[in-house]
Amino acid sequence: MKMSPEFVKAEQNMQPGVITADGFLGDDTRPLVDIIDHDEESMVKLGLEFETLVSKMHYLLEEGQKGLGEPVTVDGQWIVRTDEARGHLPSPFEDGIFRKVNAEVESLENGKPSGKKLLFTDLSLHLINKYHFFEGKGSAFRVDPAQAKEVLHL
Amino acid sequence: MTMEALLLAPVSLGFISAILGALISVTDSVVNNYGEVDININNGKKSLKVKGGSPLLGTLAEKDIFIPSACGGRGSCGACKVQVLSDVGPHLPTEIPYLTKEEQAQNVRLSCQIKLKAGIEIQIPEALFNIRKLKTKVKKITSVTHDIREVLLEVPEGTDLPYVPGQYGQFEVPPYDKIKEPTQRAYSFSSNPNDKKHLEFLIRLVPGGIVTSYVHQHLKEGQTINVVAPVGEFHVHDTGAQMICVAGGSGMAPFKSIFANMVDSGEIDKREVWYFFGARTTKDIFYLDWLSELEKKYPTFHFIAALSEPQEGDGWTGETGLITDVLHKYLTTVISEGNKEGYLCGSPGMLDACMAVMRKNNMQEDKIYFDKFA
Repeated sequence: MKMSPEFVKAEQNMQPGVITADGFLGDDTRPLVDIIDHDEESMVKLGLEFETLVSKMHYLLEEGQKGLGEPVTVDGQWIVRTDEARGHLPSPFEDGIFRKVNAEVESLENGKPSGKKLLFTDLSLHLINKYHFFEGKGSAFRVDPAQAKEVLHL
Repeated sequence: MTMEALLLAPVSLGFISAILGALISVTDSVVNNYGEVDININNGKKSLKVKGGSPLLGTLAEKDIFIPSACGGRGSCGACKVQVLSDVGPHLPTEIPYLTKEEQAQNVRLSCQIKLKAGIEIQIPEALFNIRKLKTKVKKITSVTHDIREVLLEVPEGTDLPYVPGQYGQFEVPPYDKIKEPTQRAYSFSSNPNDKKHLEFLIRLVPGGIVTSYVHQHLKEGQTINVVAPVGEFHVHDTGAQMICVAGGSGMAPFKSIFANMVDSGEIDKREVWYFFGARTTKDIFYLDWLSELEKKYPTFHFIAALSEPQEGDGWTGETGLITDVLHKYLTTVISEGNKEGYLCGSPGMLDACMAVMRKNNMQEDKIYFDKFA
């Protein structure tokens, strides 16, 4: 699929060393539009709504921040730890800047950590919500839709 | 098409590409060749002749002048500010979010965003001239909790690196896995500055963090590590006021350095110190023996640890709840009136929450100190 100039520029900005040292695409060599396209298909197959997913992630990030850097148990279902660093990250689509906050969400099974985790950033929420971009495969902050469904109990 | 033409086509294309490539290279060297440019620092206190064309931050670093930066020059931390006295054009959109109106009026710029195209005059704090890049050796790595490592570095023999407790160093890890360039992050020293042979850091694993992942998964004893130091303005103010110190996790680092130094100087016996440390469970608390020992030995030193989510079987009998709630309780019911100073180390969110509690308890905002680099 042909990419718009906006997406071509975004893909350049997603390369390692431009905005972040390791970039947004991981080992994924597919064009940006194909990555998005494939994840949109996965969302449909999984019966997930973007709004529901982003809203749950946003809620957990906010709850996690109440721990002031220490992990917090949220609703008896998740342990959430947030880390915050100085400054902001620009969106690779050049449409805003976002706090450097990331959240690690681990689901609980019978009150015990399950080992099933999801890692995302404040910027991830924007990229998923507006562009349906979950980051490339192999990226440290990729939110895999199937994994998100499982960890977030959606 | 003949076979000859088929064979010649790729060769011709290659030839044309090579010529175009050479043309681009020549044009680039002519258009982007800024030659030698002068950097005048602090009204001639230092003058440098450098090759133009690169960002100011990296160019200064090549000349051993290190402007603090927490993101490696990507314009995402807003730390590498310098005041520019000459004309380098208007502020860039990448700089604006990090600058106040006053800073913009004074032509404060992010040194990572300014490309050196001509001579430039800048103003920087004199203390930055003392920052150096040291090649250290990892002497010992100790896991003090499940996600915090104490890293002890040996400085090169004969090195004199004076620093005050509370300052920090930029810890540089080499390229690894997908990371193609050295990466620096700022961490407070946990070492006692009186130990001239070593520097120590407490580094907590941050999920997805480039430097912390390296420290926890790759760093080995005996390895060489570059440290840019000393940096930062966080330090104990010599006023005699009660010190209200708050930290969590690896925010313990500057306080370990501060308290060890206060023991050496005898200051710990003369000044009331309240140290609040927040953790989730007992497995997140460390240096408990050392801090309890200090509390026993020095009546002026008080250590209050609080667990936000103590687990069954922890046997925890201390304070519980968020450290900010415990701080509020002590400020309202236990700690006496009088002059107080706040000393904080943690994430921006933690600092904001602690400052709100301190303000609510009539502590003066200009007497609350921290380095917001976490």
